[in-house]
Amino acid sequence: MNKTSQAGTIQVPKDRMKRRRRQQRRGLVASYLFVLPYLCLLLMFGVIPVIYAFGMSFFDTISGVFWGITNYKMAFQDYRLEEAIYNIIGFVALWVSVTIIVVTGLSLMLDILSRRVATTIRTIYFLPGAITSSAIVVLWLFLVDPLVSPFQAVFHMFGWEARQHVVNGLGMVSLFAIMSFFAHSGGWIIVMGGALSGLSREVMEASRVDGANLWQQAVYVKLPMIWKSVALMGILTLAGGLQIFVEPQLMGMAGPQYARSDWSVNQLAFQYAFSMGDFGISAALSTMLITVSVTIALILIFATKFYQVK
Amino acid sequence: MSKKRKGSFSVSRFAVYSMLGFGLIFYGVPLLWLFVAGTRSQVSLFSDPVFTIGTWAQAKETWHDLTSYNDFQILNWAKNSVIYSLGGVSLSLATAIPAGYALAVTEFPGRKSILVLTLIAMITPSQAIVLPIFLELLALGLNNTYLGLILATGFFPFGIYLSYVFFSSSLPKGVMDSARVDGCNRFQLFIHIALPLAKPVIALVAFFSFLANWSNYFLAFVLLSSEKLFNLPLGLTALINSSGALENQAANDIPIRMPEAIQAAIVVVAPVLVVFLMAQRYVRTGMLAGAEKG
Repeated sequence: MNKTSQAGTIQVPKDRMKRRRRQQRRGLVASYLFVLPYLCLLLMFGVIPVIYAFGMSFFDTISGVFWGITNYKMAFQDYRLEEAIYNIIGFVALWVSVTIIVVTGLSLMLDILSRRVATTIRTIYFLPGAITSSAIVVLWLFLVDPLVSPFQAVFHMFGWEARQHVVNGLGMVSLFAIMSFFAHSGGWIIVMGGALSGLSREVMEASRVDGANLWQQAVYVKLPMIWKSVALMGILTLAGGLQIFVEPQLMGMAGPQYARSDWSVNQLAFQYAFSMGDFGISAALSTMLITVSVTIALILIFATKFYQVK
Repeated sequence: MSKKRKGSFSVSRFAVYSMLGFGLIFYGVPLLWLFVAGTRSQVSLFSDPVFTIGTWAQAKETWHDLTSYNDFQILNWAKNSVIYSLGGVSLSLATAIPAGYALAVTEFPGRKSILVLTLIAMITPSQAIVLPIFLELLALGLNNTYLGLILATGFFPFGIYLSYVFFSSSLPKGVMDSARVDGCNRFQLFIHIALPLAKPVIALVAFFSFLANWSNYFLAFVLLSSEKLFNLPLGLTALINSSGALENQAANDIPIRMPEAIQAAIVVVAPVLVVFLMAQRYVRTGMLAGAEKG
């Protein structure tokens, strides 16, 4: 059967082959037409801005002269950059470790509850994800004000009576880590819930029969099976954390004493472009941030199997 | 032996429940407080117990102060938010669905490069590229326009990825093949076969694109300089900065104080909350698709 059909293909008449080639060409054109609108946006808001900023970072943009890596040198001579780098390293270290420990812990705990209860709790954990960007900072500026906060009893225990005490007591790094954790961890708890529910029932049953209690099951059976999701969460949280901008930028809403316009690297890049009109240094800082982010993305795509391109 | 084990068991159960309960307080109380506090007066916020519920009249008065302030400014911002979101969502759908389809079911030179670039753009946090996009749009004269922000937010690589994953895994090959045999060309195939099947992924992309657009702060902040063009997240901060509503001893007559700031925050947050609760299924599917291999 197979043989005859193969023989059939060999004897395709010439005009039929031509027709097929024409069809293929038409198919190709169609594919490009489908992709074209997206391709335009991809070039305009993905590829070209990066190349443009990269090119600009080698120019004195105020007088329009090429001057090599001077912008990078000047950026590193700015004492604020070193401080900003320490700030974001501290923030990222805290946010990533708290996310890994608490999200994994809560997810494993939720996994022993009945499905319906767990789903309800996950939804509540996830709701703060609706509060994003500026609203999250507004909400937290209320939450850290002992005069109005629902957590005022906790603050009083530490002897913090005013917002300034709480902000100083926690420190900016922890405050931003708490805000970010509050908004983003719920989504990850849902992801982990998905990963856990995908684990084989037989393995769970077998470990139970072997006498593992819930604690042992969580730590020795489930955790090793979801560690890849945990790693992905850590890496994506790290990539996002390096770009922090909104939280420090908006602290000034509570008054000038809280305003920090150069706390993170992104803020510094913004400062150079908007307060000093020096797009070259701004572009240099952006290029450095993008390089780190794209490197992380490339590692995830090519060195791991999280995203597969078939 | 077995009795002792059962005992320690319930202690650890108790520990688990209390930690989960602690989680409920951490995630739930701030939201609950926000909605309750929006009904209270400035004085009540400071002097009454934290979960006191205010009055309907008070909430209405606050709402009136908020909306009428500065010539109904916040309503204009809300209108802008709707325009940006509608524009951004439509553009991302119009580009993502056909592109995802072509990337999934056809083979053409450059396909792999587009996929890899899309993944890089998707994994790279959107904040990383805000300033370069600003520099580019400034050169094009598109900063501080509706069009500039809509075009920039219409680029939604996560949508392409979702659409690509959907069409790679959910299009029945048999249906496609028989339609092709029946003489459908590529466009007919897409419009009559693929698109009607794609409703779930259209909803999914629209959902995530809406979330990204509605809460867009950093890009809007950098691109938009005139208050008339602000969206709600930007307007919220402009409102608070100009009135000093969050500084406890704001000394001015501006009717924007804490209750108004709280209601303004609710206006920013509420549409997303409603969409979240209505579309939980999509949230779950999309997050799993985004975080795990397709």
